[in-house]
Amino acid sequence: MPDTHMQSSRIDPKLLEILVCPLTKSALEYDAAANELISRKAGLAYPIRDGIPIMLPDEARRLPDTNAG
Amino acid sequence: MMQSKSAGNSPFDRNLLRQRRQRAAGNLARHDFLLRETGARLLERIEDQQREFKRALDLGCHRGELSNLLSRHAGIRIGQIVQSDIAPAMAQYAQGLRLVADEEALPFAAETFDLVLSNLGLHGVNDLPGCLVQIRRALQPGGLFLGAMFGGETLHELRHCLAGAEIACDGGLSPRIAPMVDVRDAGALLQRAGFGNPIADVDTIRVSYDNPLALLRELRGMGESNILHARRRVFLRRETLAAAMKLYRENFSGPDGRILATFQIVNLTGWAGAEIAPPGNVTRRVLRQ
Repeated sequence: MPDTHMQSSRIDPKLLEILVCPLTKSALEYDAAANELISRKAGLAYPIRDGIPIMLPDEARRLPDTNAG
Repeated sequence: MMQSKSAGNSPFDRNLLRQRRQRAAGNLARHDFLLRETGARLLERIEDQQREFKRALDLGCHRGELSNLLSRHAGIRIGQIVQSDIAPAMAQYAQGLRLVADEEALPFAAETFDLVLSNLGLHGVNDLPGCLVQIRRALQPGGLFLGAMFGGETLHELRHCLAGAEIACDGGLSPRIAPMVDVRDAGALLQRAGFGNPIADVDTIRVSYDNPLALLRELRGMGESNILHARRRVFLRRETLAAAMKLYRENFSGPDGRILATFQIVNLTGWAGAEIAPPGNVTRRVLRQ
């Protein structure tokens, strides 16, 4: 049960290949533990909910220790 | 939450649009007639290309209507479809590769797709030229963009009646910005965005409804109330609404007593990489009334 849940909440690797930060168009880091896509350049972490990356700056978590924005 | 960039001077409120789509997602299947109709026409345009596509993007996928149509369509070969919608509640219903993104800030690496599709997803975009540039950049050289968006004649009956009722009941007209494109501007927009061989043509779809309120319900059900008012506005008074509905019935009823509504669909076609010539048979598409 938890396993299948984990599977379904993970992002499809095929998406990781093509996604960039919507604001800076720079590469993203996938933080599997936090289930987030990190844009260092924008200083934002985009959440992944139910396996669906939410690539909206309004919904992103602002990273601490960043000068961006 | 960050300050929304739509909250400033931009005419269209993207957050409001997103909320409306969020709310509409659950019951969209009851109100997806127009989406399926324009989607089927988009499929014809893909088929016209007579080529195979490796990776396509359905931008503004709603609940995956286009992808569902494609899966039942034997004549079109697309290796992989990525589906994107601004509303998570919509994207949840789409099967396969899906994400949530705003047409105004696309999260795709350059030259990712060889086909980008947009089925009624580009109205309400504040910076349409900027959005088209982003689409072009997400396309490989020779890649194709096919879009269907609402044209300026869309719901002219309803807008006419609402305006008439406001003048009669409220003594004035509240400002309304219709998020639609004029077909004469559409080709120029594509060209400005760097698309080669841009084509813009028009389909006019007339739909009948039991009564004007059924039309309003349908628009809300589609999550498309923003066609009428793109920003939150003063509540339409009951009396004004009733007057508008009366005007509608008087002026735009068919012989069977049902009311008629016009949806004007502007079809956009453009190739990324200006050097690439389109396949020969696209010019056969003519204005279809």
